[in-house]
Amino acid sequence: MDMDYPITRRASLKRLLQISGAMACYAFSPWPLNGPGRLWAQSEKRGFIIEGLGQTKGYSVKELIRKVFEAAGGIGRFVSKGDVVAIKPNISWARRPDLAATTNPEVLAGVIELCYEAGAKKVRIADNTINDARRCFAITGAGVVAKETNADLVYPRSSLMKSMKLHGHRLDVWPVFVPLVEADKLINLPVAKVHGLTTLTLGIKNWIGGVGGRRYALHQDIHQSIVDLARFFNPTLTLIDATRIMIENGPSGGRPSDVAMKNTLILSDDQVAADALAAGLFGYSPEQIGFITLGQRRGLGTYDLAQLDQKKVIL
Amino acid sequence: MKARYLIWVRRISQAFFLILFLFLLVESRLPQDIFREYSLVFSSELDLKIDWPVGFFFQLNPLVWISSLLSGHHLIKGFWWGLGLLFITLFFGRIFCGFICPLGTIHHVVSWIKPALKGERMVRANQKTPSQRVKYFLLITLLAAALLGLNIAGLMDPISLLFRSVALAVLPGLGVGIKELFDWMANSDIKILSRLSYAGEVLVSPVFGYGYQSYQTAWFIGLLFLFTLFLNRIRPRFWCRVLCPLGALLGVFSRLSILRLEKDREKCTNCTLCTKGCQGAASPMPGQDWENAECLLCLNCFDSCPEGALSFRFGWPPALNRAPDMGRRAVLSGLLAGISIPFLGRLDGQVHKVADPRLIRPPGSLPEKDFLRLCQRCGLCMKVCPTNVINPTLTEAGIAGFWTPHLIMIQGYCEYTCTLCGNVCPTGAIGEISVKEKIERPIKIGSAYVDRGRCLPWSGNGPCIVCEELCPTSPKAIYFRKGVVTGPDGTEIPVQLPYVDLKKCVGCGICEYKCPVRGRPAIRVISAGESRSLENQILL
Repeated sequence: MDMDYPITRRASLKRLLQISGAMACYAFSPWPLNGPGRLWAQSEKRGFIIEGLGQTKGYSVKELIRKVFEAAGGIGRFVSKGDVVAIKPNISWARRPDLAATTNPEVLAGVIELCYEAGAKKVRIADNTINDARRCFAITGAGVVAKETNADLVYPRSSLMKSMKLHGHRLDVWPVFVPLVEADKLINLPVAKVHGLTTLTLGIKNWIGGVGGRRYALHQDIHQSIVDLARFFNPTLTLIDATRIMIENGPSGGRPSDVAMKNTLILSDDQVAADALAAGLFGYSPEQIGFITLGQRRGLGTYDLAQLDQKKVIL
Repeated sequence: MKARYLIWVRRISQAFFLILFLFLLVESRLPQDIFREYSLVFSSELDLKIDWPVGFFFQLNPLVWISSLLSGHHLIKGFWWGLGLLFITLFFGRIFCGFICPLGTIHHVVSWIKPALKGERMVRANQKTPSQRVKYFLLITLLAAALLGLNIAGLMDPISLLFRSVALAVLPGLGVGIKELFDWMANSDIKILSRLSYAGEVLVSPVFGYGYQSYQTAWFIGLLFLFTLFLNRIRPRFWCRVLCPLGALLGVFSRLSILRLEKDREKCTNCTLCTKGCQGAASPMPGQDWENAECLLCLNCFDSCPEGALSFRFGWPPALNRAPDMGRRAVLSGLLAGISIPFLGRLDGQVHKVADPRLIRPPGSLPEKDFLRLCQRCGLCMKVCPTNVINPTLTEAGIAGFWTPHLIMIQGYCEYTCTLCGNVCPTGAIGEISVKEKIERPIKIGSAYVDRGRCLPWSGNGPCIVCEELCPTSPKAIYFRKGVVTGPDGTEIPVQLPYVDLKKCVGCGICEYKCPVRGRPAIRVISAGESRSLENQILL
């Protein structure tokens, strides 16, 4: 459209009619509404939660991911051709992968490969790390995963933190790590760990790594803050990496004895449900975890798993 | 050989070594694209290291190993490079100054771009003066002080000076400017500008990184560097002629030259072109005695002589050259200064009495006394530190330890599994340790304490526990107990109250750095408890 000239009354009326007509057609269209219609569709569609369990010795993590996604209807249901996908793993600590402080690199690699198979244009890995980002990238294995899978590993830097309106109960305006917002699809890929303040750190708590600014002040009202963040980021999917979980000295850990093997992956489109199921791995009921109950109260999701399509995949 | 040809050999060599120096300087950091095969990392404790020999110029520098040998009785890693250079100097003169020294090259370029003087005045300026003895005075001061246990060679050593100036002042200064520009562009509403800023940032990040680097006293380091550059307005290569202690050392060693400036008195027409171009004020003109120890081997005289009266020739067997003109006064006052400085420097009690709580040395550092014997204050550890926590001291280490490294936890923190500073230290003042050693011994650099008056839970201002979350040791050195505090409005708040377990705390400072209580954090690290000291301890 030529924008150099002021628009005439006639042209503006025409345009308005075109737009409203298109919207009307779209709203009453008989075709199923995927993609942009996600918000409307959600109210009708039931959410799902899938638990993948690797029981055979030496099972392939990537195979398990594939099975879990197949149970959810295939990656193609969530990632379309030409999408830019942002993945938010937890790679905040410069710790070896076997210490379970960070997302398992194999899980990360598996998800990226699936996204590319579904036709994603670009996959970005973005996390505002706690330790020095270069060391985190190198030691957690995220660097080599990015290189092998041809994903972008975004270096967290001040120019990529932009103040945005979060519309939260507690948080109003806060600097947000831009690549997580400027993406067509967002996948949350946390690792399950214990945590001194919030008891556990799972999917919802992982969003602390999606913001900048004075984020350590969020701990003063942590449950409300992270629920606000989870609402704001509203990921397409949450995949909790519980292949191995940290049961002591969380969230940083540091000893192999802090780690327990669970060989579990939890995939859901409901952030609260995913966390609720993962809490069970630690022997907690969802009611015991502040951000899970608060999440349900704020309408972020539900921890009543019976309301969702539940599936279990065993490899 | 043709003079023109030789002078280009010199220029190419100078350019090569300057670029090599700057390249190694830039590479003295963790690269952005550092990868580890995670299947390897799964099984072993691998240290992240820098692949390039970033300490090469310090190894090539004989002043570094002589001064650390005199003071620390310790031969530094790769000292034979410096030994080799001395051997070459013995026969070829100050070839290092003319062909290699990056600081010399910078001075050379600066005095060439805009010559300080013209014509006859330049000829007069290039006559040898007694001020050139100052460098011998400085050399003797530094070596005498080193012998008595205080190594201050690095304050004047050209390689240390240049590294410190470029790494701590010039690069961060430029970096701050560029980063401010990019941040401004990124925040602008014009899409193309923010796109450009992202691309530009990635482009410059290998050199400048992504953050705002900052160093205590960096402005002063930069100012001094500018001042040494400005000195070229008084005399060409003023630094090299008058001040450089390494030049003095090499001058002393150039006694046996087989490479000599041969002068043909017959051909000379007294045109003074040779003196006009002389960089070292080494009396190249026929009729004067060639000052072998002052000659920087720039070959300008050889090149500029229209009559062919001057030539550099190899002569065998080596004959003893003219002794460097040190002057008895310079020698005696140098000795006097060198003897007094170490003792005066200890008068503030930093070595023998109690240690400054702010003086947190990098992990693996030697005990304070030995540290001051070896530290060159070159800034390599500060450049390489990924969190920018290592900074030059101002008063923390006393006057004797000025510009030695220490950690300012409000600027950064010591990464729990990082050992880069010890890996690159050219003299071993910071010992080379492995990650395993750092964690398992453990190597402590200090200890944390909670300021209960400022701490949010302790002072009744709400829950927090960030320090406990970030504490890297396992089990955590910061633990909490559940408690009830009274809030400002009289209500009772259940909180988790942080405590420090001094046995486990390594003093890494991540708690202080990330504490949400800004200004003066509510948890702070002091040097007490550092494993390098027997005295500076808290626990039995």
